[in-house]
Amino acid sequence: MNTVELNKIRKSYDEFVAVDDLSLIIRPGEVYGLLGPNGAGKTSTLRMMIGITVPDSGVVSLFGEPLRREHMQRLGYLPEERGLYKKMKVLDQLVFLGQLKGLSGHDASRRALQWCERLGLKDWTDKKVEELSKGMQQKVQFIGALVHDPQFVVMDEPFSGLDPSSAMVLKDAFLELKTAGKTLLFSTHRMDTAERLCDSICLINHGRAVLEGDLGKIRTGYGKRNVQIKYEGDSQFLHNAKLVQSFNDYGNYVEVRLAPGADSQDLLHAAAAHARLSKFELMEPSLEEIFIEAVGKANA
Amino acid sequence: MRNLGLTNTWLIIKREYLERVRTRSFLVLTLLLPAIMAGAFIIPAKLSSMKSAQTQRLVVVTSTPQFGEIVRQQLVAKPDGATTVADKEDKDKDDDDKDLGKADESSRNYAIEIDSNSSDAERTALQNRVDAGNIDGYLWLTDDAVAARKVTYYGRQAGGFMEKSWLAGQLDHAILLQELAQRGVGGAQANALLKPVKLETIRVEAGHETKSNGQAMFFAVFAMVMLLYTAVIFYGVSVMRAVLEEKNSRVMEVLLSSATSTELMAGKLIGVGAVGLTQIGIWIVMAAVYAFPALAASVSTGEIRIPPLTLAAFALFFLLGYLLYSSVYAAIGAVITSEQEGQQLQFIILLPLIISVFMMGPVMRAPDAPIAVWTSMVPFFSPVLMYLRIAVQTPPLWQIALSLLLLVATIAGFLFLCARIYRIGILMYGKRPTLPEIVKWLQYAKGL
Repeated sequence: MNTVELNKIRKSYDEFVAVDDLSLIIRPGEVYGLLGPNGAGKTSTLRMMIGITVPDSGVVSLFGEPLRREHMQRLGYLPEERGLYKKMKVLDQLVFLGQLKGLSGHDASRRALQWCERLGLKDWTDKKVEELSKGMQQKVQFIGALVHDPQFVVMDEPFSGLDPSSAMVLKDAFLELKTAGKTLLFSTHRMDTAERLCDSICLINHGRAVLEGDLGKIRTGYGKRNVQIKYEGDSQFLHNAKLVQSFNDYGNYVEVRLAPGADSQDLLHAAAAHARLSKFELMEPSLEEIFIEAVGKANA
Repeated sequence: MRNLGLTNTWLIIKREYLERVRTRSFLVLTLLLPAIMAGAFIIPAKLSSMKSAQTQRLVVVTSTPQFGEIVRQQLVAKPDGATTVADKEDKDKDDDDKDLGKADESSRNYAIEIDSNSSDAERTALQNRVDAGNIDGYLWLTDDAVAARKVTYYGRQAGGFMEKSWLAGQLDHAILLQELAQRGVGGAQANALLKPVKLETIRVEAGHETKSNGQAMFFAVFAMVMLLYTAVIFYGVSVMRAVLEEKNSRVMEVLLSSATSTELMAGKLIGVGAVGLTQIGIWIVMAAVYAFPALAASVSTGEIRIPPLTLAAFALFFLLGYLLYSSVYAAIGAVITSEQEGQQLQFIILLPLIISVFMMGPVMRAPDAPIAVWTSMVPFFSPVLMYLRIAVQTPPLWQIALSLLLLVATIAGFLFLCARIYRIGILMYGKRPTLPEIVKWLQYAKGL
């Protein structure tokens, strides 16, 4: 029984097609990343998945059945921007959200306090939300999505705008949920975040799925076409069009994308002939590169 | 299984209500408005009664001391209708003959000096005494002046409108008494002749006679209209603002992942609405406590008698009217993107309310006329007009029922509509939609 199944869902607002024939499957217990540039249709997809909007066509299934409102009690949602009552006290707010998800007032309060303690908000439960820093507000929002212990947590850009230490705290809580067997879905435009956390991904662009599935398999499918080279001396070899399709100079090292059909050993020889190499490493392609390539193919 | 929808609506009502009632601004407004009202009405009234409580020293200049004495008696008499000191026994019988102005007039005090010297020199002397502050003024009531019915009051202050008309009345009375005395009709007989007519109206309702007071009834209807008007202006906007606020902060995305938009709208409407009712309730209680002695007195004397049906109709139509107008505000809140835009639309909301105020006169005069019957069915007018008809003359039951039904259906319809506009409107942000776009949204939202 898959946690989520989207079957050819489509959503348009007037002439603008936000999501176009998108299909994907999220399995129980996995961390799923919905990736894509800004405006790709990530938020529209998430909203349809949790019943905030309804697709023009296609089917959304949750927990193995077509979406019903009873499902809402089993999922938690963290919106992209702060979705909290600014004037409301932190604890009151969390209890309210918990109660809407079917908790009793007492249970909601107990769990909210536990979470606040865990995320270092213990001294802030009696403060109004507007008195909190942005990072703290995001933590409150996070607790709001989790306070009813949902099986499936949906987060829209959970790490955006967070300082590194707050992001770390959230990431740890995130992984704890995964260990506890929850299914997690989050959207991001940061490929590196997705790369570190996700089991599976769906890359979307202009409302269409460009790539979908297990991240490891996707990567293997793209092969090791990248080489990281650290060198001193002549950089002539980088301009050999037979071997190098493109390269990116990061200062400390250069990342080279091999030309189609080129052998990495030929590049090694060419480089060694003119420069002193201190590093020559074959790399799996980064998600970013996969994305760029996949989009390029799709557009071609 | 418990009903998710009702539980959610209740939770939202509770949150809206408690969060608003707990704010400092709620407390301040609740206390400040009565204070301002007190400042605007009670203090000036107190001031003017304090002033008139002072004894006015008047000189009455007449051709004969006898007439002077009659005038004096009229002016120093505790005014009670138009009676004089001569028929005190009559006054006790007619205890409920008091009129509203009485409390004010009884506080007026005159010290009268009779002067039968009407020479020019005397006039100059009196003028000097007025200037010196020795007396407050004098009345020139010589036989010539009486014959011409042209009496002049000379004083430092020209006197208020009320005072002038009262004075004229008392002088009329005095002159008539004098004339009657000259024709051999004196004392009690003369007063009996001059006793004014008091018109009492009895309202026949369902075969019963109810002593009714047109003034009091008009007052009751008008009070309701003002209350509705105030409530709509004050709290309708806060419903609009509540919807708008949620839209801008995206809280609704979180809420919509738990509740439906209809539950949200109903919860907001009722929650914010209840805040308004609480505040109005507090004010009514405060006013009642302040006015209780006077109110109890006038109820016991039958001055104000509002039948229970009218009171029930008041509560019902006020609540429904309030809900209806608030739901329109909510819809506007769902469509607009900023409060400024909302302000432009506010007049449109208030228009039906203003029209129904203008309709009050014709409906009151002819509560059974077709125009009155049909306008009192129209949901936007019925809170005022149907209530007015019930207060004036109980309309047929089917008309009341139909009007209520239409009103409730319209509220439900608006709520339904709002919920849909709200849901789509919130998720589309940005510009204000055009009418065709709203229609399209309603189609999008069919499945929600």
